[in-house]
Amino acid sequence: MAAAALCWALRAARQVLPSACPRQVRSYYVDWRMLRDVKRRKMAYEHADERLRINAIRKNSILPRELQEVADKEIAALPRDSCPGRIRNRCVLTSRPRGVKRRWRLSRIVFRHFADHAQMSGVQRAMW
Amino acid sequence: KDKSAASKDSTPETSKRQEDGAETPKQQLLDIIGNMKVEVSYRKKLQQLKASESKKQALNKLEGLDSEGSVPQGTTEDTQRGKPLNPELVKAASAVASSLPLNKKQTESELLAQLRRHEETTDKQKKGGAINIRNVISEMTVKRQTPAQRSARLSSRISLQLDEDGRRIRPERASAQSDSRRSLKVGKRLNIFTKASTEPEDTLKTVSSPTIWDLEFAKEVAAVTAQPPRNGFEEMIQWTKEGILWEFPIDNEVGMEDDAEFHEHIFLEKHLEGFPKEGPIRHFMELVICGLSKNPYLSVKQKVEHIEWFQKYFEEKKELLQEI
Repeated sequence: MAAAALCWALRAARQVLPSACPRQVRSYYVDWRMLRDVKRRKMAYEHADERLRINAIRKNSILPRELQEVADKEIAALPRDSCPGRIRNRCVLTSRPRGVKRRWRLSRIVFRHFADHAQMSGVQRAMW
Repeated sequence: KDKSAASKDSTPETSKRQEDGAETPKQQLLDIIGNMKVEVSYRKKLQQLKASESKKQALNKLEGLDSEGSVPQGTTEDTQRGKPLNPELVKAASAVASSLPLNKKQTESELLAQLRRHEETTDKQKKGGAINIRNVISEMTVKRQTPAQRSARLSSRISLQLDEDGRRIRPERASAQSDSRRSLKVGKRLNIFTKASTEPEDTLKTVSSPTIWDLEFAKEVAAVTAQPPRNGFEEMIQWTKEGILWEFPIDNEVGMEDDAEFHEHIFLEKHLEGFPKEGPIRHFMELVICGLSKNPYLSVKQKVEHIEWFQKYFEEKKELLQEI
């Protein structure tokens, strides 16, 4: 238990190994859910081509059905996190899963905060 | 220069006109100076035109062999025009000197010396193209050092500044510098073809055996020279070098080095050789190719990889397909 807690504490830091960069890069994500979302996005990017091609075989009226069933099984065998549908567009600053505007990648509360402090370029309070 | 001298001479004369009563010498003076001014300005314009023409000719033809042929014609014309002016200038100088109350002979001699200097400079400008100007400039820089060095030498002699070895190394250094600079400037034109002769060989030799110590040294040097940015501009420059910031004006095709022509994107049937010519697979692949040919976002490599993946996939499933 204590060892697991230590490992968790270490991972919370999420250090990037200094492979080629001269200075240490330490990035903290807001919370674990954001981290998992980041992992899912990376996996989805890696498997995107395969998924596209296997789906092209599946969603087909020309190829025989047996081939399509085989393709179904193949795509189910891919890791679950490689599916793009599992990605949630969270707020970039607060990791809020709901109320996020896509253009700014911010939740409504953060957006309002910055807009009121005039830190959002071209955003103005509506008045008509 | 002559205009300024003439104007300077004219102002004390105007003050003296009020004082003195004699009119005829002053009328003569005024006439001469008036004539002088007009002639000098016209002469200056001519000289400037000639100088610009000669410079253009020298720039157009490299070593100026042609310019030497064309410029002496101009110089002869100018000297012919210049010579008849000189006695008039002498007369004007003598008249000016006579009008001033100070030592007339001294002022005359000074004015004539000034005129001679002006003529010398203008003749030099006329004769020289880019070549003589370069020589003049090179000479000028060398000479500019010497007065400072002379003063330094004087001061060193006065203060008896001795270096570590007990000698005065400064004049030697200066002479060495001037000699090296002279030799460099003499050899400047010649060194155009002898550049980069031995450097690439040395670099090739060193790259083949980079030791760990060399790498460490290189890392140290990079770490030391990478100073933190002093202002926002330097920060932005650093970010652009790292790739965090895009380069402005934004180039939409950064990183996209698609050298392929349009026909390689559209006519992809040649990649379909590994597939059977009839059957649903062929039909399917033709549809795939149709879709790829309309895709502007993929490079030719990516499209070819796409088709090859399908080829692999269908080869693996051959047994299955044969059962059907």
